[in-house]
Amino acid sequence: MKRTIPQAICLMIGIVMVVQFFVPHPISLQFNSMILKWVIVLTAFAMVLAIGNLIMHHTAKIEKKREGWYYSLVTLISMVVMAIIGLCLGVESESLFQKIYLNILAPLGSTMFALLAYYMASAAYRAFKARSLEATLLLIAAFVVMIGFMPFGQYLHPKFPAFAEWVMQVPNMASKRGILFGIAFGSIATALKIILGIERSWLGGKE
Amino acid sequence: MRWFELISRIDRRIIYLLLTIFVILPFFIPLKISQNIMYQTKKLFDFIEDIQPNDKAVIISIDYTPQTQPECHPMALALLKHCFRRHIPVLGVSFDPQGPGLAVEAFAMVANEINREATNHQDSIIYGEDYVYLGWKSGRIAAIIQMGESIKDVFPRDYFRNLIDSFPLTQRIRNYKDVAIAIIVAGAAYSDEWVMYAQPRYGIRVGAGVTAVMAPEYYPYLQVGQFSGMLSGMKGAAEYEKLIFDHGYTKVPGKAGTGMDSQSMVHLLIIVFILLGNIGYFFTRRKR
Amino acid sequence: MSHDPWLWIGAFLTISIFSFLYKDNPVYKFAEHLFVGVANGYYIALYWHNSLKPNLFEPLSAGQFIYFVPFLLGLLYFTRFIPRISWLVRIPIGFMIGWGAGVSIPATFQAHILKQLEGTIVTPESFVNPITGIWALIIILGVICTIIYFFFSKEHKGIFGFGSRVGIIFIMIGFGASFGYTVMARVSLLIGRIQFLFGPWLGLIK
Repeated sequence: MKRTIPQAICLMIGIVMVVQFFVPHPISLQFNSMILKWVIVLTAFAMVLAIGNLIMHHTAKIEKKREGWYYSLVTLISMVVMAIIGLCLGVESESLFQKIYLNILAPLGSTMFALLAYYMASAAYRAFKARSLEATLLLIAAFVVMIGFMPFGQYLHPKFPAFAEWVMQVPNMASKRGILFGIAFGSIATALKIILGIERSWLGGKE
Repeated sequence: MRWFELISRIDRRIIYLLLTIFVILPFFIPLKISQNIMYQTKKLFDFIEDIQPNDKAVIISIDYTPQTQPECHPMALALLKHCFRRHIPVLGVSFDPQGPGLAVEAFAMVANEINREATNHQDSIIYGEDYVYLGWKSGRIAAIIQMGESIKDVFPRDYFRNLIDSFPLTQRIRNYKDVAIAIIVAGAAYSDEWVMYAQPRYGIRVGAGVTAVMAPEYYPYLQVGQFSGMLSGMKGAAEYEKLIFDHGYTKVPGKAGTGMDSQSMVHLLIIVFILLGNIGYFFTRRKR
Repeated sequence: MSHDPWLWIGAFLTISIFSFLYKDNPVYKFAEHLFVGVANGYYIALYWHNSLKPNLFEPLSAGQFIYFVPFLLGLLYFTRFIPRISWLVRIPIGFMIGWGAGVSIPATFQAHILKQLEGTIVTPESFVNPITGIWALIIILGVICTIIYFFFSKEHKGIFGFGSRVGIIFIMIGFGASFGYTVMARVSLLIGRIQFLFGPWLGLIK
């Protein structure tokens, strides 16, 4: 029962949604609208779960005074303060909420990703070696695209940007489409396995 | 140590330092290299040029985060300037939770810039008449599908908690039938979902502004017409800024264009590093 | 140089994160944990104002009692924290996964298979311009050979092996092109931060 009921729900709703796509009857469309509104609400509840997990993890770290527990205090305090500001003071364009977003959250997030530029440069220097035919092809394609799409590419040869564009539109596009087909068939197969109960890892647990 | 061993073992701190210098230098010594325009950028620009003013709306889905802001924010600003100058109404939405903060900033920045120059109501950008920012919604795929039937069912209120029935724009833009194109400016694969879920059901045209990392993946969509145009990374943003500047929609060149000089310098630097690494590798292998 | 305290906070946090390039340090850790906390606080406010309140609680208080169904399903998520009845969390998860799987099947077929096949098939119209006709042939060859490469249920020998070798050539060109674009992407992020530090904060560039 503990596994059967959820699997039955999954099967029913999965089949109904596949069939619904092909049925333009007003009742089908109304049913679809209702389910979509439910999904919007349910996804919001799933987020509450994620936040609950975060609070539990950091609270446990503080209680047990594990290494770096004071950083967990920073996380929890900043989370509560930001939530209260957003919930009570509003989210308008000149609000404190927006200011904190633009001047704390945005710089932190941007800079974390900006570090990648350094790691990418260092990794490209160390690891990008033409050890084989395939690696050499990869290297040549990378150089063509890098030079072709930069403004200075046109000064090397006027047709260089067009050649780089051809590499993107023909061989690159062909390989990406092949991969897209593979992913599409794979995801359809996985979706079917989930609906039919062949794939049950989402149930978790032993009982 | 032999010369080829030396060039194979450049300290990473030297790489970091040179990278930083090559990024900063063009800010003070601009290279002023002209930009060529890729066909997918021109395709999107032409599509918006062909939209009738004050008729169908454009949905701009601002789904990028601060992590991808340098690439995507200039795209959003350029698209908004283009639409507002052409009097094409805009509905803003976000399906990434970090999108609203940047979306609010983008809309405010462009509206204020245009309103500073406006001399009458016609030329001004008025919230509720020329644009509405609907905000963010959970359940992205469900929201994208449901908007095709009724935008109000998904967004009963806008981001600032006003009822959307209170705006003239959202009283007449009800669903995708009233929308010319949805342009998704995102740092993740959100445009796929519009192509998969909204386009087959409702036939809505889709355009995309994507980070450079994702751009190669979307050429299959461009080729079959699932995308009506695409802006690829900072280069795409710079190209769009150039197009709207050349067509007189803005008097100020954008930030992405100035960033392309640094891009050029750093690309050269990385090519040199890769070549040095390979030369060192080959000579080391030969010595063995 | 800016006098706006908010810009100084942004600049301080930017430099805190950059300090990681030298080595991990307490200032970086503080900034990292602050990011997680502020982000989650932001999400809480956003989820309430943009989802739960307008799409659930307002319709419920307006008398649309059908919304009790998603409300109750959503509450079942919290049973995860009660060991005795934690199995009930599978019900909303099963609903969501079943819905997602069901909706994705026809959508994937339509957008990723049928439409993409349209673009791959070579017809006489492809040869109206002979050059684009040749490119169309290269595309169909590349697509088929890429799929052959990823088909591991059959040994890559003979004609199949040849197709696989051709496929790897196309794949490597595709990955090389992706790397070329990735360089632009990563450098853009750094340029953005440097523009912020040298522009709005230090006022050295416009």
